[in-house]
Amino acid sequence: MKFTPKHIEGNVNVSKTHPLTELCWLVGGLLLLTLILYLLLGVTTDIAVAKIPVSAEVWLGEHFIDAMDAVENQPLQQLLERLLDNLPVDSPLHEYTFHVQIVENEQINALALPGGRIVVFSALLEQAESENEVAMVLAHELGHFAHRDHLHRLGRGLGVTVAAIMLFGEDSAASALASKLFLVGDSHYSREQESAADRFGLELLVARYGHAGGATDFFARVGKEAGSRVPYLLASHPHPDDRVRELQGLIAANGHRIDAVMPLGQDLLEDLPLSKEPPGKEPASATGRQTSRL
Amino acid sequence: MLEIVLSYPDLSLFLALMVLGYTCGTVAEKRHYRSIIRREKELVKLMVVNADGHFAEGAVRTAFLVNGSMVVSNDYFKRLLAILRNIFGGRVKAYESLIDRARREAILRMKEEARAKGAHMIVNLRLETSTIGRAANKKNRIGSIETLAYGTAVVMNRP
Repeated sequence: MKFTPKHIEGNVNVSKTHPLTELCWLVGGLLLLTLILYLLLGVTTDIAVAKIPVSAEVWLGEHFIDAMDAVENQPLQQLLERLLDNLPVDSPLHEYTFHVQIVENEQINALALPGGRIVVFSALLEQAESENEVAMVLAHELGHFAHRDHLHRLGRGLGVTVAAIMLFGEDSAASALASKLFLVGDSHYSREQESAADRFGLELLVARYGHAGGATDFFARVGKEAGSRVPYLLASHPHPDDRVRELQGLIAANGHRIDAVMPLGQDLLEDLPLSKEPPGKEPASATGRQTSRL
Repeated sequence: MLEIVLSYPDLSLFLALMVLGYTCGTVAEKRHYRSIIRREKELVKLMVVNADGHFAEGAVRTAFLVNGSMVVSNDYFKRLLAILRNIFGGRVKAYESLIDRARREAILRMKEEARAKGAHMIVNLRLETSTIGRAANKKNRIGSIETLAYGTAVVMNRP
């Protein structure tokens, strides 16, 4: 056998695909898979939530990891009770026992936790100017309960987190991110959910006070602080200005009157855990105080 | 911009390592392939076979072991591609070039040793591949492989 030295051109052992092309395909496939999974989860969760009784939700609320140092507040509770008295007789909210609590926190925010707990951050009460305004915030949170928004959220979040753990392992950064995004107590709701809760809140506010005064005050003030509209394109919440406009449209469409608002009861303010800033004082910086996530 | 980087240190580090891995990995690979092809052409006349050598009596002056090895490391970008491949299955194309480079480089080094020692051919070529270090198969670690090529260099008794 004769040996003929010859250099062989080309390489059959290495694929010709460009690595970046491969990356695009793989990431695209993964995103598509995630999207399909998320949509499926959404459908199944929506079906399941309708069948979950309130008692199960209360049980869930009791087992919720409670990292917040919340205190009961009697005047605020009374404000809530008076709102609840004005619910329609057939409202599903009658099955709940609601508690409202205050947490010392710099964010202007309030949360609806599973099982009928409403947590209001102290900064929100500090800058509130009328009882109607606080009532609107509480009514909005009641709207989340009426539509069972946190269960919808929790169902999707649970699914995504389980999927992330299955794909990437329990202690990976991706799983941590998924559980952080979807499973924490103050999880965000979608824009539609927020708008629906706004509508519910407005109806309840009108039922309680007979007029829609104070309904938009809170968002109008937050809107000034929120500033640019650009980050809100992707945010889970509508821009406060848009919420004001939507509420004003609803008020006009339903022919609600706007009367003078009631001042905030002094008893409520006295119980605030934080030392109060002088009224009318601007927040220290735009970023120091975070915008609302109601 | 800086604010975004600072607020997501993990993600920023990940992206930076990705870009670094891709650029450095690509540059290194291109340079290596150029070198491999150039040296393969230089050494093409030195015969390497993996068959046993059967020589007529008196034809072989001497024979000795030659070997060459190369350790090549994975980079962040290739690792990501491989991880994504683990989800969908299929050819792990990102690693193909690594293995190919290691194999060819190891054979080249072996041939260079043989040429330096005056061999006319190498018979009985064998290739071994192993992962280096315990980190190689662990999560969140960058592994590397070693390819070892060894064979019997033969010096012929010819004028």
